Amino acid sequence: MLNKYYTEMKSSLEAAYQQKPRAATKMTIQLASTFVEAYRADKNVVWTSFYSFPMELLAAFDVTPFDFEIAANLLPTFSADAAVEIMNRAEEVGYSTDICSYHRLAAGCDMEGYMPRADLLLSSSYFCDGKAKTNKTLADRYGKEAISLDIPNKISPESVDYVAGQLRRIASRIESISGQKLDLERLRECIRVSNRARRAYEQLADLQKVSPFPYIGVPVINMSIFGNMLAGKEIQEQIYLELVDESRKKIMEGKLTPEKYRVLWLAWFPVQPTVITQIFRKNGVTIVMGELARNYGGGMDESLPFESLALWCLRNPYVGAIEQRLKGINEIIDEYNLDGVVHFSTDACRHSCAAQKLIGDVMKERNIPYLVLDGDMSDKRKYSPERTEMLLENFIGIMAGRK
Amino acid sequence: MSDSRAKMGYFCSLVPTEVIAAAGYEPVWVKGRAEMTAAADAQMYPNMCPYIKSLFTDAAESGGNGFDGLVFARSCDGVRRLYDVWKAYIPSKFIYMLEVPKNADDLAVTYYASQLHDFAAQIGKSSGCEITASTLRKAIKDANAARGKMRELHSRQSASPLPMSGSELFMQGIQMLHGDDGAKGGPATRRKSSAEDAAAGSRKKTRVMVCGNVMSRPDILLMIEGSGAEVPVADVCTGLRSFERIVDEKGDDPFLSLAEAYLGLPRCSRTAEPAETYARIRDNVNRYNVNGVVLTALKFCDQQLYDIPYLLKKLNDDGVPVLFVENDYVFTDKDRIRTRVEAFVEMLES
Repeated sequence: MLNKYYTEMKSSLEAAYQQKPRAATKMTIQLASTFVEAYRADKNVVWTSFYSFPMELLAAFDVTPFDFEIAANLLPTFSADAAVEIMNRAEEVGYSTDICSYHRLAAGCDMEGYMPRADLLLSSSYFCDGKAKTNKTLADRYGKEAISLDIPNKISPESVDYVAGQLRRIASRIESISGQKLDLERLRECIRVSNRARRAYEQLADLQKVSPFPYIGVPVINMSIFGNMLAGKEIQEQIYLELVDESRKKIMEGKLTPEKYRVLWLAWFPVQPTVITQIFRKNGVTIVMGELARNYGGGMDESLPFESLALWCLRNPYVGAIEQRLKGINEIIDEYNLDGVVHFSTDACRHSCAAQKLIGDVMKERNIPYLVLDGDMSDKRKYSPERTEMLLENFIGIMAGRK
Repeated sequence: MSDSRAKMGYFCSLVPTEVIAAAGYEPVWVKGRAEMTAAADAQMYPNMCPYIKSLFTDAAESGGNGFDGLVFARSCDGVRRLYDVWKAYIPSKFIYMLEVPKNADDLAVTYYASQLHDFAAQIGKSSGCEITASTLRKAIKDANAARGKMRELHSRQSASPLPMSGSELFMQGIQMLHGDDGAKGGPATRRKSSAEDAAAGSRKKTRVMVCGNVMSRPDILLMIEGSGAEVPVADVCTGLRSFERIVDEKGDDPFLSLAEAYLGLPRCSRTAEPAETYARIRDNVNRYNVNGVVLTALKFCDQQLYDIPYLLKKLNDDGVPVLFVENDYVFTDKDRIRTRVEAFVEMLES
């Protein structure tokens, strides 16, 4: 089912791109193509996490990456009802509905036989416990090895050594399944390419400071999640530069809807269809930046490839104490001239939601309207359009009262 | 049972209490509150593990925590975030977040040993008692001896009839970890009288093992025992798993010995692969001559909940009767759980 879905998605996106070439479409074609490729018998398929694994390491090999979370959870964008049916399968065998819908859906897809073969399963310990747990359970089903890249809570010479050491071992495991020796010079080139893409992305992040910003912001947030899939590949820089050109062109032409309110989006954006974008569009609200769309990693030093990749992981705002996350949020607020902050509170996301009150206290001190918007990433049973609309309308009312 | 030393609280059995003791503190496993209140929901996300909320509630409502310091560990998303919220809202004399790797290979052991050095330096500074290799070795020896006594008691539990009821053994463990009788909140189910026990002694009892994560109360064990079965062992974080660890007393580097022991067996769902968790359950089923298994998990505990479907399937495939019950740490829904437990025991006996 997923293979068919991604094959059709790829074809229709390619047709759309022929009609109207857009960078966001190009990125999604890359995503669909990668997933379609993962079903090919002649490929070495490495399951991984696009947004929380240093993908430059995989780019240094001829392997096909596959992200079970993203692959399964594009389904609700297509049919939220079908996604619920598949989640039900997982719940029938004991997956609690208190578990993240991302993982219930992935487990259900696996049980239905929708997933591609895995030769090696990589995950990481940060962002959440559930991702690595699901990875391990699925690996056991396939009789394959699961490796969790353990990211400590603090940056120190010891933690960098620890993560770099794990990455070296992972490289050696990829060598085993691919039959290809790691070429250190190729890895260094991947890091150079990634640095260039990051600089291109920075240009886009700078453009987002312009008001009105030509996009509502969701594609930018999505790119920060999917985009890392291409880290270490030339096409990542190309796509970011095209997006920069598109944005500049729109700004210069001045054919933009007036922007009334600029908000920062914290944590995740739901993949299931919601009324959020529609309400924002109607009220002139632009998501100018996503917390996770920001570049926290800085540049990487290709002369120390493993240590640089380790640092990229360790600098993630979700690693470490809340101060690291708050620092990033405060910097975005300082740089982007915001009217409000929305924290999307997906039901089972304990790592992001646990500190939402604490973040609220900081927003209160800064006198910035703050909304905790509860809902769910993929499970329509835990999403209420009426409640979402009420919360957003109230929030917009508060922002309006301060103008 | 508590001694005159200042008390240092800890939450997770992956924290080496030997380091705390070597710094001159009495290590005390923190139980949290026996009843849940709204304090945690006001400042934390409601869908957090109830043990974490219980800890926060207790501290928030008592205006502190009654300890001279607290040691957190990077054990799960929940505790990581509890640390954040605790720092912000609870005044504390000393708090420390211990880096416990999630992996258990040689790289992880080396890293953990380096973190234990830092932990020892910080906690030693807090107590004014510098930790040396010699003081740490003594603490290791003492802790091994204390755990050894509990291991010995557990090892006798494979016998039939049981030398000690599972609930009594469990509470003895809680007493050792927490320093009191741990009975706050009271038993959830009436224990059988001596006469009833004697009458029942003539027949061989059904044996049920409890497996899960953090428990401070014997409610589930008492429910099983109240249903006429016996519980040889509770393989939970605050039960058997806490006492099986043996630290090498003769290693050249005591920090490395601690790191090896605490990342080594037995491991909980946080660190272990699901297959390892299952192998341990299966092994204990044989060792303790168990007829059925009650798997229990704290609500919202991702580490445990993700393993449940796998464990249920494996146990069912192997023909080991199993019952899964979620609990909210303080057993507010004990009647519902009791009904399920009684039905399970009845099924085993039939």
